[in-house]
Amino acid sequence: MLKLININSNYDFLRKKTTAMIFSLILIILSFGSFATQGLNWGIDFSSGYIVQLKFNQDIDINNIRNSFIDNGINDSVIQYFGSNQEVIIKLQENINFNKESINSFLINSLQGYSFKIIKLEFVGSQIGSELREKGEWAMLVAILSILVYIGFRFEFLYGIGAIIALIHDVLITLGIFSIFQLQFDLSVLSALLAVIGYSLNDTIVVYDRIRENFTLIHEEDFEKVLNTSINQTLSRTIITSLTTLFVLMSLLILGGSAVKYFALAMIIGIFVGTYSSIYIASSSLFFLGIGNKK
Amino acid sequence: MSSYPRWKSFLVIIVLAVSFIYSLPNFYPSFPAIEISHGKNNENANNITKTIIQNLKINNVLNKDDKLILKFNKTEDQLKTYRKLQNSNIQEAFTLTNYNDIPDWLISINAYPMFLGLDLKGGVHFLLQVDKDNIKENLIREIEVDTKKLLIKNKYRYQSFNKENNKIIVSFKDNKFVDEAIDKINENFNDEIAKKNLSNNLNIIEISPSQISIDRDIKSAISKNLTILRSRVDELGVAQPILQRQGKDRIIVQLPGLQDSTRAKGILGSTATLEFRLTKGTPEDWYNSKLSGTPTVNSSALYFLRDKSPILLSRKVIVAGDDIKNANTGFDSATNTPAVFVKLSDYGASRMLDTTKKNIGNRMAVIFVEKNKQEVINVAVIREAFSKSFQITGLDMKEAQDLSILLRSGALRAPMEIVEERTIGPSLGKANILSGKNSMYFGLFLVGLFMLIYYKLFGLIANIALAANIIIIISVLSIFQATLTLSGIAGIVLTVGMAVDANVLIFERIREEIMNGNSPNASIYSGYKKAFSTISDANITTLIAAIALLTIGTGAVKGFAVTLVIGIISSMFTSIVGTRVLVSIIYENKNSKRLSI
Repeated sequence: MLKLININSNYDFLRKKTTAMIFSLILIILSFGSFATQGLNWGIDFSSGYIVQLKFNQDIDINNIRNSFIDNGINDSVIQYFGSNQEVIIKLQENINFNKESINSFLINSLQGYSFKIIKLEFVGSQIGSELREKGEWAMLVAILSILVYIGFRFEFLYGIGAIIALIHDVLITLGIFSIFQLQFDLSVLSALLAVIGYSLNDTIVVYDRIRENFTLIHEEDFEKVLNTSINQTLSRTIITSLTTLFVLMSLLILGGSAVKYFALAMIIGIFVGTYSSIYIASSSLFFLGIGNKK
Repeated sequence: MSSYPRWKSFLVIIVLAVSFIYSLPNFYPSFPAIEISHGKNNENANNITKTIIQNLKINNVLNKDDKLILKFNKTEDQLKTYRKLQNSNIQEAFTLTNYNDIPDWLISINAYPMFLGLDLKGGVHFLLQVDKDNIKENLIREIEVDTKKLLIKNKYRYQSFNKENNKIIVSFKDNKFVDEAIDKINENFNDEIAKKNLSNNLNIIEISPSQISIDRDIKSAISKNLTILRSRVDELGVAQPILQRQGKDRIIVQLPGLQDSTRAKGILGSTATLEFRLTKGTPEDWYNSKLSGTPTVNSSALYFLRDKSPILLSRKVIVAGDDIKNANTGFDSATNTPAVFVKLSDYGASRMLDTTKKNIGNRMAVIFVEKNKQEVINVAVIREAFSKSFQITGLDMKEAQDLSILLRSGALRAPMEIVEERTIGPSLGKANILSGKNSMYFGLFLVGLFMLIYYKLFGLIANIALAANIIIIISVLSIFQATLTLSGIAGIVLTVGMAVDANVLIFERIREEIMNGNSPNASIYSGYKKAFSTISDANITTLIAAIALLTIGTGAVKGFAVTLVIGIISSMFTSIVGTRVLVSIIYENKNSKRLSI
């Protein structure tokens, strides 16, 4: 049998439990810091305004485009190259100079002298944007609560808490990374975040399942040892599953095109963080929550 | 070890076979096409075909049942021909569509390909919201009339009666009747009006529409607008448009394949209509009015023609948009300019007859009314009385066509505003599909390769299960005619990851059992058994998350959740039951010494 991990591995993961907790705490504090200062780079789905993707027939200089907009009364356009020097994505706030009916002709007028095609045009009114934000937060909350109930039911209440801790940890850090690097947070990233919740739980439950099994099998005083054994036993599976999922996500990221880029990125970050949390945080939380002391 | 239940094997085979068949339609290529309905009239069909072949030089004309199909290789060709057809004299209805060359036997069992979302096909998506203020205003106007009548009837003499801020304020000299009036009003108009006393001044009544009545009017406006919008969308010549109510006060409009959103925007949100009025005064009066800025003749209003010349019109409207039953575009025979041929309703016809009979020799003006502007497009002398049908000139061809569409479909019950718009060019759509497919194939290939190397024969079994899983997902989406979006593809990607995970769990357990010294068959048995509870716990939690998304989310989030839910259920089936069947076929009754795992 080909093996990535020695099946009798016996790494003492829980020796590093305090280090891990501190490390995670630092990451979370950094994340909150970034939330407070920079905030998230809300994509158009959650804020409001226009996103326009234009393809020109020649190489263009972004500064020239920006100046053309300034000449027409738009001072706050955000323009980026998109894939080549001939394609750009433009983010515009709502403006008195144009509205959703006239934006097409406004673009043509401001960019006279350029020959281009409108590849994509999106407009989201501010009310919709904030509504979506609300709905997104709701969805997360409901998902988390129902999961807590289910796990509390299948295992024990403290396991549920441990799982939620690992979960919140994953979400916060993933969001934190998005905030620190100002990566765009749009609807697809929200989907990815929710997928990460499911995936990370997947991992956590597999470990908890082992712990529960070993608790009854191994009459071991040292709860830490039970935890360690369980993690080691599931290590092989955890690594392989993460690996295979990463295969698919990496190809999405590299080959999948613009629309799924941020989704794939969010999921990849989430999986790394999630795997780390399943190995260290989920079990350490159980330890610190005092599960072993119940005996 | 006893043999694996036969019925499970049969179940797997049946599920796979059905899925395979129903996923087939998706693999037939689809072409841009134009459908022309000829209603099973073969002579008609032949005539049209001849015209098309001669004038449009298209040879590829299929005759299917009750329509003709023109196939094209490129969307550009399809659109070019569509415009040529619009300018031709072909009367039959024709639409843009996507044609799938699906064999008849598949169609007979209702096997169709699934829909592709806008982000994969290209097109336009609008979210329209009803103007709540407008509805409230109309309600208040009704309430005003009714309330005044009631107050007067009961002799509650009021001092002042004012409308402000969507409320009606009635003040009395003293508070003798105030409470009585409030009760009477609330009695007679139960859910229509709510009554309040202004806190500091007891002589004042506030009247406002109740939330129930507002909601009710919004609901009715939305459903009437849906019908009207639907007929407007039909006129845009889009195949498979989607119009749906969303929430309390919104409508989603999706137009796949549409390139130019400007025209669509113009037509969808437009409240444009026509008005007919008599002129007043002489050209000199008109000129003087322009100079002074106000009408110089009694009970008239100042309007302007397209060339900015002034005109005075009567305040009375003879007929307007609601009285117009039908409208078509064509050319005025005399001047050969674009014209709108109008047909009035019976009521409108009688009013028109009345007015024209009494005003022969006078002038009548046609006003083009839109949200914020009103333009006189035509002034003509009434030469003879007319009633039901007549024609209007003064617009260019495109305006005439758009106006006819709007007059035909009717005026919106309440104005709607576009609050969200997404346009995806079809080229981006194609690029998305292509890169989505490619990345999936490549990712799957890597996973398959890995499983094969790491778990050998069992890995091969897992790969087969994975392929089956994907086929099942595709077939379920097709059977329910669901729409696949980019986020849906992302959901499938995640499902793949979880399906593999289930298999990994099982195989790692089996390996453990073997390492603990158990026989191959015993290892298989307990491997599956022990892994099952882990897999179900894990999958169910993800399912919970997916269902939360499904119910609360909209749009992209929903698309993701749909494929995730389908994928989790089907992956549990293929990973557990599916692989088990294959494993038992290979290893059952065979007391092998070693497992290829």
